[in-house]
Amino acid sequence: MSDKKYWQSFGERTNSEAFQKSSENEFNEELSLDGLDGKGLLDAKHPRRDFLKYLGFSTAAAALAASCETPVKKVIPYVNKPEDLIPGVANYYATTYVSGGDVVSIVAKVRDGRPIKIEGNELSTITRGGTSAKVQASVLDLYDTARLRYPVQMVNGGKKEVSTFEAFDKLVADDLGTLGSAPIVLLTSTITSPTSKEIIASFLAKYPGSKHIQYDADSYSGILLANEATYGKKSIPSYQFDEAKVIVSLGADFLGTWLSPIEFARQYAKGRKVNEKNPDVSKHYQFESILSLTGGNSDERFVHRPSETGAIALALLAELGGGVTAPALDEKLKTGIKKVAKDLLANKGKALVVSGSNNVNVQIIVNAINEAVGANGTTLNWSSPIQWRQGIDSDFASLVSDMDGGKVGALFVYGVNPAYTYYDADKFKSALKKVKASVSFNDRLDETSELCKYVIPAPHYLESWGDAEPKPGYFSLLQPTIAPLFKTRPFEESLLKWSGNASTHEDYVRAYWLRKAGSLDAYEKALQDGVVEPSSSSSGSASFSAAKVAEAASAITAQKKGDKFEVVLYQTVAAGVGNHSNNPWLLELPDPITRADWDNYAVVSPKYAIDTWGIDISNRRQADKYEVYPDKQVVKVTVGGKDVLLPALIVPGTHEKVIGIALGYGRQSADDKNTADNIGRAVVGVGKNVFPFAMFNGSTFEFFAPEATIVSTEDTYKVAQVQTHNSYEGRNEVVKEMTLADFKKSPKEILEEREEELKPYGGIEGYRAEGTLYSEYDKPGIKWGMSIDMNSCVACGACVVACHAENNVPVVGKSEVLRYHDMHWLRIDRYFSGNPNDADSIQTVFQPMLCQHCDNAPCENVCPVSATNHSTEGLNQMAYNRCIGTRYCANNCPFKVRRFNWADYTGADSFPDNQRGIVDDVVLMMNDDLSRMVLNPDVTVRSRGVMEKCSFCVQRLQEGKLNAKKENRTLKDMVDIKTACQQACPTEAIVFGDVRDRESRIAKTREDNQQRVFYALEELHVLPNVNYLAKIRNTETILGVEKEEKVEVAEKHS
Amino acid sequence: MALLKYESQVRPPLVDGDKDYHQVTEDIIRPIEMSPSKLWWTGFLIAVGLLCFGIYSVYRDVTYGIGQWNLNKTVGWGWDITNFVWWVGIGHAGTLISAILLLFRQGWRTGVNRAAEAMTIFAVMCAGQFPIWHMGRVWMAFFVMPYPNSRGPLWSNFNSPLLWDVFAISTHFTVSLLFWYAGLLPDLASVRDRAKLKWRKLFYGLTSFGWTGSTKHWQRHEALSLVLAGLATPLVLSVHTIVSFDFATSVIPGWHTTIFPPYFVAGAIFSGFAMVQSLLLITRKVLKLEDYITIEHIDVMNKVIVLTGSIVGVAYLTELFIAWYGQNKFEGWAFMQNRVNLFSPLGWSYYIMMGCNVLSPQIFWFRKMRRNITVTFFMSVIVNIGMWFERFVIIVTSIYRDYLPSSWSTYYSPTPWEIGFYLGTFGLFFTCYFLFSKFFPVIALAEIKHILKRSGENYKEKMDHAEHESVDEFAHEMAH
Repeated sequence: MSDKKYWQSFGERTNSEAFQKSSENEFNEELSLDGLDGKGLLDAKHPRRDFLKYLGFSTAAAALAASCETPVKKVIPYVNKPEDLIPGVANYYATTYVSGGDVVSIVAKVRDGRPIKIEGNELSTITRGGTSAKVQASVLDLYDTARLRYPVQMVNGGKKEVSTFEAFDKLVADDLGTLGSAPIVLLTSTITSPTSKEIIASFLAKYPGSKHIQYDADSYSGILLANEATYGKKSIPSYQFDEAKVIVSLGADFLGTWLSPIEFARQYAKGRKVNEKNPDVSKHYQFESILSLTGGNSDERFVHRPSETGAIALALLAELGGGVTAPALDEKLKTGIKKVAKDLLANKGKALVVSGSNNVNVQIIVNAINEAVGANGTTLNWSSPIQWRQGIDSDFASLVSDMDGGKVGALFVYGVNPAYTYYDADKFKSALKKVKASVSFNDRLDETSELCKYVIPAPHYLESWGDAEPKPGYFSLLQPTIAPLFKTRPFEESLLKWSGNASTHEDYVRAYWLRKAGSLDAYEKALQDGVVEPSSSSSGSASFSAAKVAEAASAITAQKKGDKFEVVLYQTVAAGVGNHSNNPWLLELPDPITRADWDNYAVVSPKYAIDTWGIDISNRRQADKYEVYPDKQVVKVTVGGKDVLLPALIVPGTHEKVIGIALGYGRQSADDKNTADNIGRAVVGVGKNVFPFAMFNGSTFEFFAPEATIVSTEDTYKVAQVQTHNSYEGRNEVVKEMTLADFKKSPKEILEEREEELKPYGGIEGYRAEGTLYSEYDKPGIKWGMSIDMNSCVACGACVVACHAENNVPVVGKSEVLRYHDMHWLRIDRYFSGNPNDADSIQTVFQPMLCQHCDNAPCENVCPVSATNHSTEGLNQMAYNRCIGTRYCANNCPFKVRRFNWADYTGADSFPDNQRGIVDDVVLMMNDDLSRMVLNPDVTVRSRGVMEKCSFCVQRLQEGKLNAKKENRTLKDMVDIKTACQQACPTEAIVFGDVRDRESRIAKTREDNQQRVFYALEELHVLPNVNYLAKIRNTETILGVEKEEKVEVAEKHS
Repeated sequence: MALLKYESQVRPPLVDGDKDYHQVTEDIIRPIEMSPSKLWWTGFLIAVGLLCFGIYSVYRDVTYGIGQWNLNKTVGWGWDITNFVWWVGIGHAGTLISAILLLFRQGWRTGVNRAAEAMTIFAVMCAGQFPIWHMGRVWMAFFVMPYPNSRGPLWSNFNSPLLWDVFAISTHFTVSLLFWYAGLLPDLASVRDRAKLKWRKLFYGLTSFGWTGSTKHWQRHEALSLVLAGLATPLVLSVHTIVSFDFATSVIPGWHTTIFPPYFVAGAIFSGFAMVQSLLLITRKVLKLEDYITIEHIDVMNKVIVLTGSIVGVAYLTELFIAWYGQNKFEGWAFMQNRVNLFSPLGWSYYIMMGCNVLSPQIFWFRKMRRNITVTFFMSVIVNIGMWFERFVIIVTSIYRDYLPSSWSTYYSPTPWEIGFYLGTFGLFFTCYFLFSKFFPVIALAEIKHILKRSGENYKEKMDHAEHESVDEFAHEMAH
C-alpha cells in the first residue's frame, strides 16, 4: 500500500479547522423553503437555490393555473388496502330501507366505500327484489347537503352546536332531571325493529310513567281499528292480490302508495300477465274520485265523491247480501256496484276488496264485504299480518292535547314530522312549546326538529346497524355500508345511554342477533342474506265478528251528501307524505298520471274546465291551446277557512265535483329563509302543504274534505310536465291493446295485422332483409334485447329513478323541465283514451319508452361524426367524447328518447362559471361534492353540449361479460346481467338478455308471447331491439283506436 | 345609304343615359373615391351594432349551452337551421345570375351580377354560422373534417347529410368567391389606375394582382370566367339539393319527402332573386346607379320570381296531395293537422308561407306591377318572409309533433338570444355589404362596358354624316 496522500483542497491538505467543521456535516444544506427568517428572498439562507426553487415553483404554478386544463384532483391510494376492497369492483351489502315505518329489504351497491345504488333483495319473499321509486332514490338522501352534521341545541330559533355527545347527553340529562313527575313521551313512526322495541321498552322501564306513541303521517288507523272491531286484532292482514281473480279497490292506490305497493304490485302483476296458451287476466274494478296510478291500471273505473266511499261500500255489501240497506247513489254507480257484486260472488274465495279510506266504519264494512266474498283466509292472510303501520291517530291527537295541557315533561321525536304532517300543525307547535324538554332525533332540522330544544343527528339507514320485522317471523337486517358521514348517533344508542346502558347500538344489535341466530356463522349468514324468514309461508284466517257491522252501517248511512266540491288529498309515488322531500331524483320523477313534476297542483275535472274557463279538452283546438303552454290557471281552494293557491291541471278521469291535491309538498321552515339550509335546497318553493286540509273525525284522520270551495283566479303558474299530449291518437303502431274477450276469440289478431302490414316486404320473417336495399351481414355473437310487458307494467316509476341513479342522469330542475329539457333516459309514457268528459270512460295505458336500440337506427346514419354507432351486440351506443352536439340524431329519432345537455348540468364542462344564473339551484346542489359521491364511477358524466340516451346499462353488460370470461364460462342469463330498470321493476315487466341464447328469458318471452309481441313503429324498418307485449284489457271495448272511434261516433249520432 | 343605319328595335338598351366609357367609369368608381355619405355611415353602424349583438348572442350560446335557445327534447332544430337554410337559399341567386346566365349569354346580367355575387358570398357566410354555432360543442367542430388523425377509429360519417352539407356549402363558397374575385380583377385595376391616395394605390394595387389589361390577361380572364361558370352551374342545383337531403333522408313525417330537391332549388332561386331585388333597389337609389340597374332588370327578375314562386306553389300542393294520397297516417297528420289546420299551435305559420310564397307573387303576372319599384321592393321583402316561414314550417311543424304523441312539444318560440343570432347574421351580411359597396365597384365595370351601346351610337352618328354625302365623296373619304 502506498501512503500517497491525495487532497482536494488546501483545507484538506492542511486539515484546517474550517475543513474539519465542514466535513463533520457533509450534507448540511437543508431543503427548506422557510429559511427566510423575515429577510428578503435574496438575503435568505440559500438565496440562489431557493430563488430557483421559487422560480420553478411559481412558473409551474402559474402555468398550471393559467392553462385551460381541467384541474386534476388526485386521490390518495391506500397504504394498507382493505382485504375485501378492490378499486373498481363493487361490493354489495344486504341491508334494509327503513323510512316512516316502511321496510324494504335491499342490497346496496358500494363502490370504493360509497354506496351508490340500491337494488332489491331477491331473497326477500315480500318484495322478491322489487323496489319502488322512493327506495331507489333513498341513496341520494345519504348525501343530502341539508343533513344535520352535528348535535345542536336550539337557542332562540337558531342552532348552537354541541361539541360532543357527552356534552349533549349532559344537557339532556340535566333537563330530564328537572321534569319531576311529568312523563317522557317517545313519539316515533311505526317501529318494527325488535331490537329497537327492546331498547325502547328498557328506556320506558327506566323512566316510569313515560310512554311510546307511534304516529304515522299516512295513517292506517281506520283499518287497524276496524280489524280490532271485527277480527279482534289491531293489525293489518297480508293481502294476496295474486290469489284474487276479482280485485275491487275503493280508492286504495295499492300499486302506487297504499300500504305495501311493491309487494302488491308484484302480486297484482302475477294475475295480469297473460299466458297465451290459456289467456286469463284478473278483473280489477276501481272506485275512486281522481285518477290514481292504480285506477289507471284498472279494467273498469267508477268515479264518485270521496264522501260517498262509505255509501259505495255499504251498497256493495247490500248487493252481496250482507243484510244492510243500500243508501241512495247515482244510477251509474248503482249499475257498477251490481256488476261488481255479481263478479265478486261468482269468484268467491278468489276475490279481494280493499279500501283506501281511513274511516273505521268504512273499513268495517269492507271487512264484512271481504267476509262475504270469502276473502278471509284466502286473499286476506292473517297468519302473517303487516306490521309497518301501527299508529293510532287518536293516541297522537290526545298526546297533542296532553302536551298542550302541560302534562308532558319531555318529548322525544324520531322519524316523524307532525309540525308538517299533522292536520292541526299550529296546535302541535304551540303544544310543543309547553313541553319542558324536547329532543329530536332527525337527519335534518325539519319543521318539527327546529322547534325542539335539542336535536341529535340521526344516521341514514345506509350508515346504520339494525333490524326490522315487517311481518311476524320475517326479519330484515341493517348493516352500515359506509362510515358515518357526519357526527351522528342512532336514536337507539341515545336511549341506551340515557337509560344507563353503556352498550353501543351496534353491540346491542349484534348481541341480540347472536342470541337469536344461535351462532356467529348463522348471524353472519343472516347479515349476508339480509333477511331471515320462515322456510315456508302459511296462510291463515281470523274469526270474523259481525257485531259492529250494523253500527258502522248506520254511521255511514247517516252521512249526508252535499253538492259542494270535495277535496281528495292523495299521495304521489314520488312525494308520499314528505319523507324524502329534498330528493331531486324524486322531485324530478314525473307523476305517472299527470306527468308533472316539481310541484303539487289541483287536479280538476275536464267538466270543471269547461264550466270555469271554457276549455273543452275533447275539442282538439282548445286542448292544443291548453297543453302547449305550461302556464296553468291558479285556483284558490278553500277548506274550513284555510285556503291554498295552486295551479290547476285538467285530468280526465276526475269526478266533476272533486279536486285532488297531493300531500308531501310545501315544506317550509318556520322562517322561510332557513328552508334551504335546514330542509333542503331542492324543496324551496316546491308546491304547497295541504295537510291542514285533512280532518280528524274523532278517531282517525281522513284525507279528504267533504266541503270545499274552488275559485279560479286571474293568475297563472307554470307547471312542469314532461308530457303534454294525452291521447295516442289511435296510433296502434305505437301502442297495441286488445280486450281479453277479443284476444281469446282471435288470439292471432296482432300477429296477423303485423304480417299484413309487412307483407310487401317479406312478412315478419323476411322483413329485416327485404325491407331494405342494403344487404344483410352476418352478426354473430351476443345480441341484446329487451321485452316490456305492457300488461304487467304498473307505471310505479322505480325504473325511472333506478336509471337516474345507475347512469348519472342529471337533474335539471323545474325551470328546465318547463322548457322540455328533462333528461330521463327512460320515461313512462301515459296515454288516455275515451271521452274526457266522461270520467268513467277513461282508459289509461302506460308505455315505458327508452332507446329502442334499433338495428337500423335512424340516429346513427345522420351523425356527421359517427358519435352514435352500432355495436356488434346490437347496442346503439354513444361515444360522448365524439359528440359535437348537432342534435340531428334526436330529431331523427322516431321515439324521441335522445336527451341533449342543454346547459352544464353536471359541472363537467370545460367552461368555468357557466352554471350560476343559468341552471336551478338544485342542479348546483347535485353538483356539490357531497351529492356527487352518489355518482356511478362506471358511467361517464356527460358534459354540456352532448347527446345522451339509454345505453342498456352497457357498464353492467361489460361487467357481466368480464365476470363470465374470468370464470371461463358463458353468460348466465338473468344472473350475470340485469339492467337497472329491470332490476328495480317490482312486477318483472322488463325482461332483458341475449336473444341469440335460445334458453334465455328474453328469447323465451318472445317465443311464448308471439301473439302479443310487437315493435313500436315497426313499419319504419328501424328494427328495434326492444319489443313490447300488447296490453290485454279485461274490458268490453278498447277506446281511442279507429275501429272503436267509428262506433263511438255512431253512438253519438244515434 | 339607309341600309347602313339599319337598327333592330327588339331589345331596349341595357344601360340607359347614353353613357360613354369614361362616364361609366366615373359613375361606378365615384362612390369608392368619395368619402361615404351620412346614409352609408348610419346603415353601416346599424349593421355593426346588429353584428355585435349577434356575437354576444353566440357568446352566450357557446358559454352557457344551447339551452340559451328554446329548443327542446322534441324540437332539436328551430330558428338555427331555419335561418341556415334560408341564407343558403338566398345565396343561390348570385350563382345563378353569374354562372348560368353567363353561359346562356344573357347580357342583362352584367348590371346586377357583381352585387348578386357579393350577396351570395355574404349569404353563404351567414348561412355557415348556423351549422357551426348550433353545435353543442362547437370547439370540436373539426371532427367533421375527414383527414388522417390520431383520434382513433372514428372518422367522419359519410352517410350523414350534415357532412354532405359541409362539403356542399364549402364548395359553393369557394367557387363563388373565386368567381367573384376573378370578375373583380380588371375593375380593381381601374380603381388602382385612378387612385391618387397612397393607401388606395397600395390596396388596389395589391388586390388587383398586377392586372395590366393586356390581351393575354383578358384572354385568360375570359377563359377562367367560363371555367368557373361551368363549375358553378351544377352548384346551383346541387347545394340546395344537398341541403334538402338533411330532411329528405330522415324518417320524420314532413321531412321524409322525395320532392324536396327540386322544390328546395326552386325555393332557393325564388328567395335569392327576392333578396337581390331588395338589395339592388336600395343600392341603385343610394349610389345613383339607376342607369345601370334599370327597370328592365327589375322586370326580368320579377319574371323569375313569379316563375319560381309558382314552382314552389306547385310543390306545396303536390306535397299536400301526396300526404292525402299516400295514406300514411303520420305524414297525413304532419300535413293536415300540424300545418293545414290553422288552429293547431303552429298552423298559422303554414298560412304565412302560403300567402307570401304562392299567392302574393302572382301579382307579377302584371307588367305594370313588375315595373313598379315600390311594389317590387315590398314584394321582395314579403317573399323572403315567406321563404323563411317555408323553412320554419318544414323544420318545426314536422318535428314538434311526430310519431309519439307523448313527446309532442310545448309551444316553440325563440329566446332573445336565438333571435339575436339571426339578427347578428343580418349584421354580418350588411356590414360586409356596406364595406363591399364602399370599397369595391358594385357593378361589373369591365363587363358593363361590353354591352354599352355607345360605340353603336357613334357609328350611327358617323353614318348620319355619311347619309348626307354622295357616294363619290364617301368613297374619296374612305380612300384617304
